[in-house]
Amino acid sequence: MSITTKLGTATLGSALLLTLGAGMAQAATVADGNTMATLRPVALNGVKASGTAMVTVNGNRIDVTMAASGLLPDSPHAAHIHFGADARNECPQASDDKDGSGTLNTTEGGPAYGPIVVSLTKTGDTSPKSGLAVDRFDTAPGGKISYERGSITVSPDVAQAITDGKSVVVVHGVDHNNDGKYDGDTKSDLDPSLPTEATDPAICGVLAAAPAGGVQTGGGGTSTPDNTLALALGGGLILAAVGTGAFAARKATNRL
Amino acid sequence: MSISSTLGGRRGVLAAVATVVLLVLGGGLVARALTAPGPPPQPDSSQAVAAPATPSTSASGRPTPATAPTAAEAPDPDFGVLMAPSAPVALRIPSIHLATKGLVELGIGTRGELEAPKDFQRAGWYAAGPTPGEFGPAVIAGHVDSTLGPAVFYHLGALKKGAQVMVDRKDGSTATFVVDRVARYPKAHFPTSEVYADTGGRAELRLITCGGDIDRRSGHYLDNVVAYAHLVQGA
Ligand SMILES: [Cu+2]
Repeated sequence: MSITTKLGTATLGSALLLTLGAGMAQAATVADGNTMATLRPVALNGVKASGTAMVTVNGNRIDVTMAASGLLPDSPHAAHIHFGADARNECPQASDDKDGSGTLNTTEGGPAYGPIVVSLTKTGDTSPKSGLAVDRFDTAPGGKISYERGSITVSPDVAQAITDGKSVVVVHGVDHNNDGKYDGDTKSDLDPSLPTEATDPAICGVLAAAPAGGVQTGGGGTSTPDNTLALALGGGLILAAVGTGAFAARKATNRL
Repeated sequence: MSISSTLGGRRGVLAAVATVVLLVLGGGLVARALTAPGPPPQPDSSQAVAAPATPSTSASGRPTPATAPTAAEAPDPDFGVLMAPSAPVALRIPSIHLATKGLVELGIGTRGELEAPKDFQRAGWYAAGPTPGEFGPAVIAGHVDSTLGPAVFYHLGALKKGAQVMVDRKDGSTATFVVDRVARYPKAHFPTSEVYADTGGRAELRLITCGGDIDRRSGHYLDNVVAYAHLVQGA
């Protein structure tokens, strides 16, 4: 009976140690997981908007903070993290306009940023399944998005892609004809019940690792040890001068 | 005139020349050491608050409930004043008489660290991050000294909480920040997340230079001085 109790305690103890160890391992990756994307207008789509997205990776969880302005106000803006192992892992360029329409739709951006891996919804599911859940995305009051969502679970591959600087944040929704709403005859390549304006990529940025660690911003010219060294060296040279000066004087006296 | 006295005469002249050279060199070094501005100012060490270990909080440092919020939608966070992107061209900090133009672009070095400007007298900004005034942490770094004397960020350690920092931008606008705190950290324990990631949900600025003692073997300072500021006005 007493043996059983001891075994129980030992098991509990090692379980506690394991938990602590796992916790510390996770904490160590936090510092390596700060990524940032400056969001800039997507080529050809002519949206005068911009923003910043910050994603912190902590194991298989990510925290996302994003601000943007200049978007079509009061209209849902689907926003995602995209990643594709075969993608170029960048924002699309004018040369990605394969149908020659003069604008880029989401499918044309695919070779650059890959498929959706995280849906940046305000509530509920964040998987690719919610990619077009227009009722759960930010509607950009005043053209601005202020978005914050913590503890989104991602797969290890996605977490790795983000920390490696290979994932891309895309905010969708472009009012091409500037009439203040999503409309037009062209249907979305993703969902034919929506106009393409509702899903075309507006602003985009690659999530890149933020700097880590200290900065080497000094030459040492005013540091204390350096001055002490200069003083000592200078003083020594002057003392030597006293010696050679005495020698010169003696020689001069000898000649007289 | 004997050979020995000629030699003695030459030795005397040599010694006299050596005396002058030694005096000039020695005097110069002493004068430089004495007139040199001395070590740069350092921030009050009590301001160096350690970065809190917050693995379970949101990106802004605010606690997040373990379970997702229910039906009621959380209101959008307030990120305060924000500006459109525009590259910085000049930095002005009147309280420490710092004014510098011609900011250079900085990238990331081989160890993931922020590169320092090549020119000791120019400040640089992290060009892959937000521009000063945009949401997130804009970063400007400068040398505290060169190998010879003070450099562009020599006085940074004297910066105080509440001081104004102005960044003039390429589009003609000025981003005005107010200093929240100035801290000094050993480079070995640099709070990466606090400096480069967490801005508590607003447009912020980081000013970085070196501090503390110098490591004679590497030639590098052991500490970094970091000033944290937030945007109060953009126009
Ligand atoms: Cu997308």
